[in-house]
Amino acid sequence: MFRLQGSKVLAVDMTGDAVKAKNGSMVAYDGQMAFKKMSGGGEGIRGMVTRRLTGEQMVMMEVRGQGTCYFADRASEINLVNLHGDKLYVESSNLLCTDAGLRTGTTFTGLRGGASGNGLFTTTVEGTGQAAIMSDGSAVVLRVTPQYPLSVDPGAYIAHQGNLQQQFQSGVTFRTFMGEGSGEAFQIRFEGDGLVYVQPSERNTIGGEV
Amino acid sequence: MPFREVNARMVEATVVPGQKMFSQRGAMLAYKGDVSFTPNMQGGQGGLASMIGRRVANEATPLMTVEGNGTVMFGHGGHHIQVINLSGDTLYVEADRLLAFDGTLQQGTMFMGSQGGVMGMVRGQVTGQGLFTTTLKGQGAVAVMAHGGVIELPITPGRAVHVDPQAYVAHHGDVRNKLSTALGWRDMVGRGSGEAFQLELSGNGAVYVQASEEKL
Repeated sequence: MFRLQGSKVLAVDMTGDAVKAKNGSMVAYDGQMAFKKMSGGGEGIRGMVTRRLTGEQMVMMEVRGQGTCYFADRASEINLVNLHGDKLYVESSNLLCTDAGLRTGTTFTGLRGGASGNGLFTTTVEGTGQAAIMSDGSAVVLRVTPQYPLSVDPGAYIAHQGNLQQQFQSGVTFRTFMGEGSGEAFQIRFEGDGLVYVQPSERNTIGGEV
Repeated sequence: MPFREVNARMVEATVVPGQKMFSQRGAMLAYKGDVSFTPNMQGGQGGLASMIGRRVANEATPLMTVEGNGTVMFGHGGHHIQVINLSGDTLYVEADRLLAFDGTLQQGTMFMGSQGGVMGMVRGQVTGQGLFTTTLKGQGAVAVMAHGGVIELPITPGRAVHVDPQAYVAHHGDVRNKLSTALGWRDMVGRGSGEAFQLELSGNGAVYVQASEEKL
């Protein structure tokens, strides 16, 4: 059972079950808890190889126990996401905690990764259960429908779920190269049906500097 | 004198004649009325003996005395501020986390190493906090700084609370603390979960935990 205590602390009530959480993100617990490091980025040898290749280093731990465990990370805002058999795509640095029953892996994201400075691969969370993702400031959830595609600044993008196609958009022109850019040279365009999580802050990206 | 929370990072205190307050030096943001700020060489109150105690304990964060008639706004470094009201019990807090407190509260230092034996001694090394901590006792209000929001977790007999040493902010009540380890051979060879050490707090009271593992 995931619940938020304030906006920056995640409380998870456990009765012998387990969750996966970002390494070192436990701030407090009562009851009995055991912490075990996991090799993140997907299970098995394949996951390990993927991890090595992609650089999507997701260091996570398994927390199992009886009681309540509290998680937080560098005072980031926490958002709860419910998954019903669908897939969540999230930057690994923004993933705080998931139900142990959810499968985690890595996926190729195309060119976007290069511009967002987050590698060419992103973390996926799949199955039915809850996940907690982090944002710098309160995140907004934007719905995308076939009629209304969405363009997002790569630095403000944190996660998406649903049946979405993403496409990398560049507005780089001759003027941009002459130093007259608007600062919005790159966007990710989402089309289809789903949700996109956007934070009110921009990471430094290669795209942002053009 | 209770503190009024202006927002998450700023508190306002009313100063009345005849009643002092102490605050971390430089933590005043603004004031109204006739208020004076004097550096406090003793680092609080309690006379010379306690001053030497604090020097030795390295808990001598510079304080100033706030006196007069008016209102003062306090804040520091953009940190989140938690107001804790004491009704006769003792608050344990690192001196550098103290933003401001009522002058009526009795200030002291406590040797934390005495609790929990050898592991208590290790505490200082692991947490980066001293072996000594500041205590405040009596009736009054204290404003404490934290990185990110703060949650208050009750500690009841039979239900101990374990806290990440870096996320620990303060605690009050009749509480024993000791350092517990989850060290196995796997942690020794660098496969740790990152949760090798925890502060175990048991007894009767409450602990304040910040939403971050960053020191101030």
